[in-house]
Amino acid sequence: MEDEQIVALYWERSETAIRETAAKYENYCYSIAFGILKNREDANESVNDTWLDAWNSMPPHRPFALSTFLGKLTRRVSIDRWRRYTAKKRGGGEMAYLLSELTECVPAERTVERDWELSELARTVNDFLLSLPEEKQRVFLCRYWYADSVSSIAKRTGFSQSKVKSMLYHSRKALREHLDKEGF
Amino acid sequence: MKRVKPEDILDAVGMVDDKLIGRAREGKKKPFFKRRAFLPAVAAVLVLSLGIGLFFGRGRLLLHAYAIAEAEYPTMCPYPESQSYSKELEDWLDSREAQLSGYDEGMAPDGFFAESIREFLSERPGENCAYSPVNVYMALSMLAELTDGTSRAQILGLLGIPDIETLRENASAVWNACYCDDGWMTSVLANSLWLNRDIRFHKETLETLAETYYASSYCGRMGSESIDKALREWMNQQTGGLLRDSIDGLHLDQPTLLSLVSTVFFQAEWWSGFPKEKTEQGTFYAPAGEVTCDFMGQKEDDTYYWGDTFSAVQKGLRGGCKMWFILPDEGMTPEELLSEPEAMEFLLSDGVWENQKRLSVRFVVPKFDISSETDLIEGLKKLGVTEIFDGRAADFSPLIRDTGEERISGAQHAVRVQIDEKGCSAAAYTKLDLTKDGMPLTDNIDFIVNRPFLFVITSEVGLPLFTGIVNTP
Repeated sequence: MEDEQIVALYWERSETAIRETAAKYENYCYSIAFGILKNREDANESVNDTWLDAWNSMPPHRPFALSTFLGKLTRRVSIDRWRRYTAKKRGGGEMAYLLSELTECVPAERTVERDWELSELARTVNDFLLSLPEEKQRVFLCRYWYADSVSSIAKRTGFSQSKVKSMLYHSRKALREHLDKEGF
Repeated sequence: MKRVKPEDILDAVGMVDDKLIGRAREGKKKPFFKRRAFLPAVAAVLVLSLGIGLFFGRGRLLLHAYAIAEAEYPTMCPYPESQSYSKELEDWLDSREAQLSGYDEGMAPDGFFAESIREFLSERPGENCAYSPVNVYMALSMLAELTDGTSRAQILGLLGIPDIETLRENASAVWNACYCDDGWMTSVLANSLWLNRDIRFHKETLETLAETYYASSYCGRMGSESIDKALREWMNQQTGGLLRDSIDGLHLDQPTLLSLVSTVFFQAEWWSGFPKEKTEQGTFYAPAGEVTCDFMGQKEDDTYYWGDTFSAVQKGLRGGCKMWFILPDEGMTPEELLSEPEAMEFLLSDGVWENQKRLSVRFVVPKFDISSETDLIEGLKKLGVTEIFDGRAADFSPLIRDTGEERISGAQHAVRVQIDEKGCSAAAYTKLDLTKDGMPLTDNIDFIVNRPFLFVITSEVGLPLFTGIVNTP
């Protein structure tokens, strides 16, 4: 079924919407959730939460790209779940690695106000990503948006694992410089 | 706390533009490459023929028309059909990793690439021309193994390599870094030696060639129909039939002592193909006049590169390869551009370039299928390799037991490059209206390749597999 038709089902409040969404996007959402949580049961729960969030979001939302919309929901739900778990010290998953890697992007010397608007930071990160060559941009997002493992990115892109690692390293370094330059 | 935390960045990344997220994982829902699917392709072949010698009838009959040393190609695990994590996936990743493990950037013979590209692409101004730097590099490396003394020193000098041991290490690493045959993308280098059965050769040298350069050796009666047929079959097989017209005219004449044949075959799909419905006829401004041809088009965010006298964009190919389209500024020909040091530096930069900007690019490029044949002898002489063409001076002692006045009598290089909506390598003359030296003033660029242009197809590690000039698509 076309995305537009699926969205229309949500707007009609037809429960078929969830069935159709699951049929088309379950694997995609599961892969995002599993990438973050590294646990089947938790990933399945995140995917189910995603359907619920989608149901609650449409209407009023009418997403232009349903896959991205669902992906974002899954990512947010999964990260929230992971945060709850780490708060309870129930394991690290891939997120622990991601955060440990991203500490390299945090400017070491200068500090910023605690209340920096996240949206401002997001805009800066977005600008940074747009300045990257396409391949680096994709690799970066596969890692830090989708939480894909390095080996999975290597498989997807055809780069060697060492090249993926090297691209990520240079991108993180460049992001740090970019954030420094932008005053973060 | 008054500093950005990693978690903040993670959240910020989660808020980036939808279109970036959507394409980051493009290709996830379906395999990038259907095994055995017919794709546009490029191939190149180079033949160096060792010419008339003095040894007819002197040596004993060593071998018949069969292989005397056969190369064992690396076994690559096939690209897994399933997208899920599996042992097959791990194996595939390991085999990709193994191919690249011996290579580092310092091994690229950039000096040779620059000099030879300039030489061989500038020979016929106004005509289509293509050249495979990696292919000629491999052939010359093997030729260095077959020679000694000044003959070898001249070749090593051109390749910028101090000694034969370093050459072996580098050539083997380059070969492996360029080789990929996993059903996802194909980049196959192959080498062979065709030996006159009446000549006594040093088997150790042939074994070195098999081990280091993956070269197979075949031996037979020169001038016979059967050995000609075997040679053509082998070459057509190694080049996917793309160079059949050129190959079918090749012979191993009776006086030939040895022919060294090196091939490259490359096939890959674009990361994001050109929509077929957007292909339409247009005018290409060739040196000989206007030509009507099919132009492919797409508009997407892309990195735009520029220098003092050119502008460029690249299209990604599966497997980490790329095709670069380099458009000289108006009033300058591609051949003239090649003489600009900055342009050559860019050509070999693999995108590590200061002047670049992410823009929305309307990219229009003609579909093309060009073939080119080059006699390398004069070019190699100009590049300082002279002795191997002089029978009185050439030293082929590592190859032939009873040496005499051997020389290289023929050196042909043939290349064909084609691109279409699905993939492979491409050239595009880009017509680009932009500010010469400065950063583009807008965020939208029309990159219209409707006049002669340069192209480069690079491997995953940035080695120039193919280069060319398209004057008429």
